[in-house]
Amino acid sequence: MAGASMKDIKLRIRSVESTMQITKAMELVASSKLRKAKERQERSRPYFTGLKETLIEIESNSSDFVSPYQKKREVKKRCLIMIAGDRGLAGGYNSNIIKAVTEKMQDGMPVCILPIGKRAVDFCARKGVEILTTEFAEAGCISIPDCFTISNLVTQGYLSGQFDEVSIIYTQFVSMLTQTPKAESLLPLKAEGSRKQRESHTLVLYEPSPEEVYDAIVPGYIAGMIYGAMCESVASEQGARRTAMDAASKNAAEMIEDLSLRYNRARQGAITQEITEIVAGAEH
Amino acid sequence: MSTFHLKISTPDGLAFDGKVERLRVRMIDGDVCLLAHHTDYVSAVGAGEAAIVTADGQTKSAACIGGMLAMIHNEANLIATTFEWADDIDLERAKRAKEKAEARIAAAKNDDKELMLASAKLQRALVRIHVKH
Repeated sequence: MAGASMKDIKLRIRSVESTMQITKAMELVASSKLRKAKERQERSRPYFTGLKETLIEIESNSSDFVSPYQKKREVKKRCLIMIAGDRGLAGGYNSNIIKAVTEKMQDGMPVCILPIGKRAVDFCARKGVEILTTEFAEAGCISIPDCFTISNLVTQGYLSGQFDEVSIIYTQFVSMLTQTPKAESLLPLKAEGSRKQRESHTLVLYEPSPEEVYDAIVPGYIAGMIYGAMCESVASEQGARRTAMDAASKNAAEMIEDLSLRYNRARQGAITQEITEIVAGAEH
Repeated sequence: MSTFHLKISTPDGLAFDGKVERLRVRMIDGDVCLLAHHTDYVSAVGAGEAAIVTADGQTKSAACIGGMLAMIHNEANLIATTFEWADDIDLERAKRAKEKAEARIAAAKNDDKELMLASAKLQRALVRIHVKH
């Protein structure tokens, strides 16, 4: 009897050990993916800050300037870009985003959602909300051209009056341990608060006109915002997964320790019993 | 010939950083060629071929699509959405993309959104093929 239980315990130790191997591997993979996402974001930064600076310059240099991207209008419908993960096992990553989106939808305003990531698509299908496109169901392989496609979709929809406001909901990577869901508005463009009065380039030649230059680079800028949010979300997902897997590995180690103790106790018990039996037999 | 500093940034990182004699880019309203000491100038990039003549007289061409070009105080900053040197273009891939986009346009018919996406893809493929030749 003691032997059977010893065998059971040994099997359990082995299964927990292999689980731990998996969680450890997932943790390592998450760490390296996280680093890659951060690097990608870093590389793209000069491009997008360049566009942003030009947008701000045009805005602040031309006083009588109007752009359809900038004009506020009555909001009848809003569009949300929702970025979630493809897979679970990432702590609260997906459920936090879903919570944030549900909160945003609470005021009853008609919405349409552009989900990015399998979990986001699933959520929209379950809730029955209008979906702009499901082409971007895999968050893991969203590339820069994809971001431009998304940007073109939403800017076109915005200009044609399909919706009057565009926001993006993503997870901000605060640190290795903290990731918070965040909603940021994309359109209409807000004149950024920090209108730093740089050396004013009032004599800059804008061709064909400031308005046309502005309108031509807005989609690129929006794509940059989306790409930034994408990278940030991927990093957050990996961060959350890393933390979750770290906790799982620790739990597994604890379980193994506990089980080894029980195994040794059972082994000791079996030996003692055997000795007692032999001794009892010899006495007779 | 006098030169000026040119920086080409793309979402994938820096594509070029150095002195050039001349820069030619297809803007939204046609080709523009910048030489040193051009007046301060900002414009949006269209889709087409871009070419630079480096300080040592070499000409290099690339596919350049979308973004903007700024020349401020004799420093040029080309911020391109797509910027691929002719040597890096994968002709076979561009040809495949062209065929795929054409098929999508044929299938789209009245779907404006699809038509817009597919024609943008077609244009990119055509620019790449043109630059490679």
